Amino acid sequence: MSDAARALLPPLRLLRRPVMLGGLGGLLALAFVAALAVGAMPIPPGEVLRVLFGLDADSQSRAVVLGLRLPRAVLAVVVGAGLGMSGAALQGLFRNPLADPGLIGISGGAALGAVAVIVFGHVFAALMPMVAGPYLLPLAAFLGGLAATFATERIAHSRGVAATGMLLLAGIAINAMAGAAMGVLIFMSDDRQLRDITFWTMGSLARGGWSGVLMAAPFVLVAVIAMYRAARALDALLLGEREALHLGVPVERLKRIVMVAAALAVGASVAVSGIIAFVGIVVPHLVRMAAGPDHRIVLPGAALLGATLLLVADSIARIVVVPAELPIGLVTSLIGSPFFLWLLMRRKAGA
Amino acid sequence: MIEAESISVRAGARLLLDDLSLRIAPGRVTVLLGPNGAGKSTLLSVLSGECRPETGRVTIAGAPMEGETPLALARRRAVLLQHSSLDFSFTVAEVVGLGRLPFAATEHERDDEMALASACRLAGIEAVWTQTYQTLSGGERQRVQFARALAQLWRRNPCAETRYLLLDEPTAALDLRHRRSVLEAAHKLSTEGVGVLAVLHDLNLAAAFADDVVLLKRGRILASGPRADVLTEDNLARCFDVAVEVIRKPDGALAILA
Amino acid sequence: MRFLAFILVFGVAVFGASANADAPKRVLALGGAVTETVYALGAGDTLIGVDQTSVYPAALTRRLPNVGYVRALAAEGLLSLKADLVLAGPEAGPPEALAQAASAGLRIVHLEDGYSTEAAIGRIAAIGAALDRKREADALIAALNDDLALVKREVAAAKSRPRVLFLLQAGGGAPKAAGRATAADAMIALAGGVNAVTGFDGYKPLSPEAGVAAAPEILVMMKQSVDALGGEEAVYALPELAGTPAIRNRRLVVVDALYGLGFGPRMAHAAHDLAVSFHPEAKFPPLPARPWMSAE
Repeated sequence: MSDAARALLPPLRLLRRPVMLGGLGGLLALAFVAALAVGAMPIPPGEVLRVLFGLDADSQSRAVVLGLRLPRAVLAVVVGAGLGMSGAALQGLFRNPLADPGLIGISGGAALGAVAVIVFGHVFAALMPMVAGPYLLPLAAFLGGLAATFATERIAHSRGVAATGMLLLAGIAINAMAGAAMGVLIFMSDDRQLRDITFWTMGSLARGGWSGVLMAAPFVLVAVIAMYRAARALDALLLGEREALHLGVPVERLKRIVMVAAALAVGASVAVSGIIAFVGIVVPHLVRMAAGPDHRIVLPGAALLGATLLLVADSIARIVVVPAELPIGLVTSLIGSPFFLWLLMRRKAGA
Repeated sequence: MIEAESISVRAGARLLLDDLSLRIAPGRVTVLLGPNGAGKSTLLSVLSGECRPETGRVTIAGAPMEGETPLALARRRAVLLQHSSLDFSFTVAEVVGLGRLPFAATEHERDDEMALASACRLAGIEAVWTQTYQTLSGGERQRVQFARALAQLWRRNPCAETRYLLLDEPTAALDLRHRRSVLEAAHKLSTEGVGVLAVLHDLNLAAAFADDVVLLKRGRILASGPRADVLTEDNLARCFDVAVEVIRKPDGALAILA
Repeated sequence: MRFLAFILVFGVAVFGASANADAPKRVLALGGAVTETVYALGAGDTLIGVDQTSVYPAALTRRLPNVGYVRALAAEGLLSLKADLVLAGPEAGPPEALAQAASAGLRIVHLEDGYSTEAAIGRIAAIGAALDRKREADALIAALNDDLALVKREVAAAKSRPRVLFLLQAGGGAPKAAGRATAADAMIALAGGVNAVTGFDGYKPLSPEAGVAAAPEILVMMKQSVDALGGEEAVYALPELAGTPAIRNRRLVVVDALYGLGFGPRMAHAAHDLAVSFHPEAKFPPLPARPWMSAE
C-alpha cells in the first residue's frame, strides 16, 4: 500500500469498528449484569454473584435470579438484537432512515398472525396437527410480518424508488388493515383470548421464559446472520437500487433475503414478547449518529444496542412500580416516541 | 466488446429503441448524442445489462449479457448514472470505497487502497475526501460518483482484461473545468483499453473527446462512426432539428456553434 | 353442666389456638372478592399485599403494597412481598407469572372460577381452609346462605320480571353489553330480572338496533363506567339506547363494580339492593346487618 493511499483514510475511521462494537459489547454486558441484579426482590449484588457462580446461596435468591431474571434477560437480548438489527436492515433496504418494523406494518402483521392463532388456534391444530404445537404461533407471526412487509414494499416501491411519504403511508394503510382484522378477531374472541391479545399488543418479556428463548432464538439467530452477511450489499443499496445492481448486488434477491430475515426476527420476537415499539428505529439511529451508516458497524451495533436498550427498558419496567410491573412496550414507547419526533424535526430543519 | 444487435425496447405502446445495433469497442470513447427522449438512457441501461431488450440480443465478449450475474458484470464494467440520491451520511471515502465492492474476498481486494487513491486523484476530489457526501455540492457529488466508477474499474494490471465504463451525462452538474477533467479521465482509461460509452449533451465536449459518435433520434441510429464523419452540419441538423455550424480547425479539432 | 361448658369452651379455645398457630401470617390476596373474604373471616391483619381490584375495605387495602392489575401480575413482584400464602382469585394471571412464582417456592392457592352463589361459597370455604379459619368460614357461609335464601324468597314473591341490560362501558364506540356467562347475567337473575341480551356469551359491543331490539326496561351500569361517561345524564343521552323503555322511564341502576359484581361475601346484600331497584312495587325488608358489611 502506498503512503499516499494510506494517508487518504482518516486514522480514526479505521479504528471505528472495533472501538464501537467493543464499547457496545461492554455496555451490553453491564446492562445484562444490572438486569440480573435489580428487581422487586431485594437481593444484594454479592448474593447475585454467588448465585451466578454457582456458590452457596439462598434457594429463593437462586430461584429468582436463575429462574426469573436470567431467562428474562436472555430473552431481552434475543428480542432486542432481533428488533434492533431488523430495523437497521430495513432502513437500509428502504433507503429510508425512518423505516421501522412497526411503521412499515411488519409488527402489525406479525401481531395479526399471533392473534389469529390465539383465536383460531384450536381450528389450525385440528386441521394440521403436525404444524401445531409451540411453533404455530411464531410461524403465524412470521408469516403475518412477511405478508405485511411485502405489501408495504409493493405499494411504496412502485417506481423503483421508495418515497418517504409513500412508504409511511403504505405502512399506515397496512397497519390500519391489520388493526381492522385484529378488531374482527377481538370481537370474535372470548375473555381469555382477549386477555392474551391484550398481552400481544402491549408487549412484555415476562411470559416467555426459557421456552420463549428457545422458540425465538433460532429464528433470530438465522435472521441476524443472514442480515449481517448482507451488510456490504446494503451499503451499496444506499446509493440506489440501480447503482447497487451495477456494483454487482443481486438487488431483488437481496431485498427478499433481508425482508424474510427481518420478518423472521420480528415475527419471532413479537410471538414471544408482543409488540415492542420503537427499538427498531431508535437504536440504529443512535449507532449511525456515532459511527456513520456503514452496515458492517450499524447492523451488529444495532443488535448490541437493541439488546442493551431492551435490558434497560425491562429493568425499568420491573422496578418503577414495585411490586407491580409496567408493560415493556409502554417503556420503549415512552422513550421512543419523543425520540422519533425529535428525528422528524431534525430532518425538517436539515431539509 | 459489448455488442447490441437489432434490439428493441418498448414502454407500453411507445417504442423507445427501434431495431438498433451498436457496439462499445475496447480502447475507444463512444459518445451517444441525441435530443431529449431519443432513447439514450434506455440504450445505456440495455448495454449495462440492467434492462433486457424485447427483441434482439446484447453480448459481452461474445457471451449473452443476460447469462452474466450482476457480480460478474460488475467486475468488468462500471456505470455512472444520473441523479444519485443518498439519504445516509457516508463520507466521500466510503462512497468511493463502495466501488471496490465487486472485489470483496477476491485477489484484487489487496489493491483497494491503491484503487481509491488513483480514483480520488483522477476525479480531483482530494479536497473533499474526508467530508460527508450529503454536505457536498451537486458537482462535487457527481465527481465522487465518478470516482466510485473509476475505483471499480481500477486494476493493477490494466491489460489483463477488457473493461467498460458507461457514463450517463457525467458532466451535467459540472463547471467547465471539471467537465473537461472528467472526460480527460475517461479518455485516459480508453488509452488503457477500457471501452467507454458516454451520453453527453454538450456537442463540443463530444467533438473534443469522442473517438466515435452515435447520433440517436426517436429510438433509431441516425448516424454512427468516427466523430469527424458523424459530426457534420447535415447530420446534426437532422438529429436536433436545429441549424448548426461545424468549424473544422487545421489540427483536426472540431468546434460546433449552435 | 357448667363444667361441661367450660370444657367445651376451653377445648375450642385450645383447638382454635393450636390451629391458628400454623395459620398463614403473611397473606397476599389477588382479587377484590378474595380480599373481602379474607377480611370477612377476620384475617384482615394477616394481609401484606393486595392487587388493584382489591378496593374494599378501602381503609385496609389502601395502605397495603399493591401488586398491580390482577391479570398482569409480575412473578418477582409477588415473590418480593415474602408472603407465606397467596390466594389467587380466578382472574389472577397471567398463568405463567403465577407458575414462575410458584416454582420459586411461593405457596399459591388457586380459587375456582364461576359466577354463581355456589361457586362463590366454594371459594369462601377454600379461603377459610387455606387460612386455617374453617370455623369463621362456616359461620360466614351459614350467614350468607340465610341472606341468599331470604333474597330468593323475596324475589320469588315479586310479580315482575323486568328485562335488564347491563352495560360494561359506553361512549367511544358501541357500548359493551353483558351477554350470558357473565357476573352481570348471574346477578340480574339473582335479583329477579331477565337479561335483555342473550344472543352471546361474555361482553360484546351492542349496536343501536340491537339495543332497541333488546328493549331493556332497566339499565344497570357500574359506577366507574357512569363516572367515565360523565354522569347519569350522559347515560340517558346515549344514542344506542334512545327509545328504549329504560331510557324513557329513566331507570338506570348504578352499582359499585366490586360490590355488585364481585361475588364475594357481600353478594347477598348486592343482590338484595338490585332486587329492591328491580321491583319498586315490592316492599322488601332490609337484610340483617353483617359485620363485614360495615367496614368503613
